[in-house]
Amino acid sequence: MKNNVSLILGIILVLIIIVVWALSFIYMPYPPNEMNIPNKFLKPSIDSEHILGTDNFGRDILSRIMYGSRNVLLVAIGSVTLGTLLGIFLGAVAAMKRFADTIIMRIMDGLMAFPGILLAMMLVTVLKRGIQGSIIAISIFMVPVFSRLVYSMIQDTETLLYIKAAKSYGSSRRQIFFRHYIPAMLPRLITQFSSAIGSAVMIETSLSFLGLGIQPPFASWGLMLSESRQFFLGYPYLAVAPGIAIIITVLGFNLIGDGLNDILINRGNSNE
Amino acid sequence: MNETVVLKALHIKAGENTLVNNASLVIEEGEIFGLVGESGSGKTLTAKAIINLLPKGLSYSADEIITAGKNMLTASTEEKKEHIGRNIGYIPQNTVFYLHPMIKIKNQIGDGYIHHMHKTRTEALEKAEALLYKVGFKHPKIVLNYYPWQLSGGMRQRCNIAMALMNDPMLIIADEPTTALDSTVQRQVMDLFRTINEEMKLSILLISHDLGLVKHYSHSLAVMYAGQIVESGYTNTVFSNPKHPYTQLLIKIIPSLKIKKNEPLVEIPGFVPEKGRDIKGCVFFNRCSKAVDICKDMVAELADDEQDHYYRCNLE
Amino acid sequence: MLGYVLDRFKSSIVVLFVVSVITFFVLMIIPGNPAQLILGTDATPEAISELHVAMGLDRPLYQQYLSWLLDLLKLDMGRSYVYGESVTVLIARSIPVTFSISIFAMILAVFIAFLFGMISAIKKNSIADYFSRSIMQLGAAIPSFWIGMVFIVYFGVKLKILPVSGFVPFEENFFKFIKSILLPSIVLAIGEVGTLLRIIRSSMLDSLKQDYMDMARVKGLSAGKIYIKYALRGALTAPLTIIGMQFAKLAGGTVVVETIFALPGLGRLVLTAVEHRDIVLLQGLVMFITSTVIIITLFVDISVMFLNPRIKKFKQGEL
Repeated sequence: MKNNVSLILGIILVLIIIVVWALSFIYMPYPPNEMNIPNKFLKPSIDSEHILGTDNFGRDILSRIMYGSRNVLLVAIGSVTLGTLLGIFLGAVAAMKRFADTIIMRIMDGLMAFPGILLAMMLVTVLKRGIQGSIIAISIFMVPVFSRLVYSMIQDTETLLYIKAAKSYGSSRRQIFFRHYIPAMLPRLITQFSSAIGSAVMIETSLSFLGLGIQPPFASWGLMLSESRQFFLGYPYLAVAPGIAIIITVLGFNLIGDGLNDILINRGNSNE
Repeated sequence: MNETVVLKALHIKAGENTLVNNASLVIEEGEIFGLVGESGSGKTLTAKAIINLLPKGLSYSADEIITAGKNMLTASTEEKKEHIGRNIGYIPQNTVFYLHPMIKIKNQIGDGYIHHMHKTRTEALEKAEALLYKVGFKHPKIVLNYYPWQLSGGMRQRCNIAMALMNDPMLIIADEPTTALDSTVQRQVMDLFRTINEEMKLSILLISHDLGLVKHYSHSLAVMYAGQIVESGYTNTVFSNPKHPYTQLLIKIIPSLKIKKNEPLVEIPGFVPEKGRDIKGCVFFNRCSKAVDICKDMVAELADDEQDHYYRCNLE
Repeated sequence: MLGYVLDRFKSSIVVLFVVSVITFFVLMIIPGNPAQLILGTDATPEAISELHVAMGLDRPLYQQYLSWLLDLLKLDMGRSYVYGESVTVLIARSIPVTFSISIFAMILAVFIAFLFGMISAIKKNSIADYFSRSIMQLGAAIPSFWIGMVFIVYFGVKLKILPVSGFVPFEENFFKFIKSILLPSIVLAIGEVGTLLRIIRSSMLDSLKQDYMDMARVKGLSAGKIYIKYALRGALTAPLTIIGMQFAKLAGGTVVVETIFALPGLGRLVLTAVEHRDIVLLQGLVMFITSTVIIITLFVDISVMFLNPRIKKFKQGEL
């Protein structure tokens, strides 16, 4: 029962963010980068033209949140997708080709040993900062988790009889892979995917907070938080909106991941 | 005589489904009482009800439950806990996980003793050693230092027995004590029970599906079928004059060396019913070769008072 | 048992090796000439190439890697471009800060997670349970710096009871030391409590279902004994492994918190190195931090093995 609550709550939260995101393409109250110095530091209020207030440059916060959602989601979903695909590929190769097994898995072990932020920062040093760099860095961070998952799942399924049956009547490896393995792995992959997006948003936020991720003129919630730091003492509201946006997004994806986990994998059999 | 356990009209239900229906028994002081039946007949549940150990999902009711002299129906949870811990030793069926795998024997055998008898750890270890010796271990000190998984099934069983005896209990409940053991060890363990019963005068509730075992070692017995007690009385009486068809068949089934070579083994066709244990008629009706029509709708509860022989059957 | 230890040891060495290769080669991809970076834009081409050779940058990559590795084993991580000092010294100076907040954060997280995790499991599905689990989900979703900023404003500025920045080494003044690490540690702990609480709750629930709990109850022991001696004991393996992993992760992931609270720890060093593309410093830092993570994980795995005597037994191969 609790599983369904998590899932539903998560979906609601994510939908909120998606609506915000979609809306950003159609209508934003103000151009997100338009500075309006005379109007700076307006407090948020329902009657005002700026519902969430303005920042130190007079930019409308609501619009910036909407605009920021584009890049945050782009980086998060883009990097996780990339990482997943690469991870599936590497995991499958490692599981199905003997000689590649040890090498690939050892490299994955090595990559996993790096603490997340550290790896991301290291990669960003090498790549360019900004959206591209973030996507590549975070996707590399995601690869080992997915490759490990796929690797062990294939190994487990390999021993099942129906695979042996398929092999015996001559299905090519590729056929086996797509027709049998992938459907079997799908539930766990989807669950992991959702949770990974949550993590990706956290990492992206941290990166842009530190100035290593999305750069101006683009907007990101992490960037907004970092920009608000100097003025936080006087104008705390500056950090509220981006913080809440982050929390909703991360919580939403995490809850979906958890809910799916309980339903698909534990079949409601978890310790809930 | 003093009664260690009095159970009257015990009903146990899991939701709507009745598991135990109207079970009653009396265990006298110092006797070995056998509770016999197939798996699923409700023997373990009945025993657990006596010591307040029923799993959370089940509900129960009874007219009377007196355990080791105390009324369980009126006692508070705290009182029940204290009383049972102090006066009853429980020897569970399957030994493997009943002893904590991460705790050495010496650290778990005595904790009930220390708690209820207010003894020190040293005193507990001394007593544990003595009891372990009594149950047959030649080197109790070594056993105490072992983890449960380092011992064989029979050894663990004996540790359980020693642990149950720590508080000099009034009652020991032994649930299928011989099932997981090989026959020589079975014999040892059962003889041990008899010795303990005779020397220490404590009552033993012996739960078993092995009628032969119960015949040999118990003073009184009760036969359970599908959640009901179908016959009970002194062992001698029941065996010399079994009244219930089920009991009669069970006795016939006991393998003995006297069976002729090509004689087929007796079996009772059918299965123990899981549901419908609360019907008014006889619960054995479907499998009874002697059943008559009236048995379907009602069953008499007869007793032969002189010999305390009770049985639930319409036939004489 | 010894076999298991050796096995883990061997894999750790392999992983360390892979990590060193990744660290070194990834960072070498940076465009730009280190020598030029150091000397600045006015330097003459000759001066640059002189320094280039002097730094050994003209050798083939694998040679550079090997000499770097050998130096590493001698604990010489080179000289930082930005600071000009030995990387080893810089790291050594920053260790106390990062480790203080990491350790303190772990202590806080462990304490809260065990307390609420056990209560959650014992009183499953009660209000306390739902409360704990909501906290746990929230904790994982709140960005640490956001909470950090909130704390700074509230406790540091408004209430003025805790410092908002700076680190006071504990030799100097124990009380002030605690005050300086309190907020950052709490912030870090918030991020970790969630996962730990979930694992503890789950392990406890499994443990409570076991048969030995029946025995403990029949024996009529006190609640404390039942839940701590029997239930908890059976539930420790997974949590301890996770704690080890989390501590290792914390040791490497304190960048943001250190930035907000202006603590001169390893994380801040990393940020500086990244911002200035100080390859040498970065290589040393990444190697050090990651090695620490690997070593701590190894240590935890072995300790957990000792804790659970059954694992010990099975690893021996007998049954």
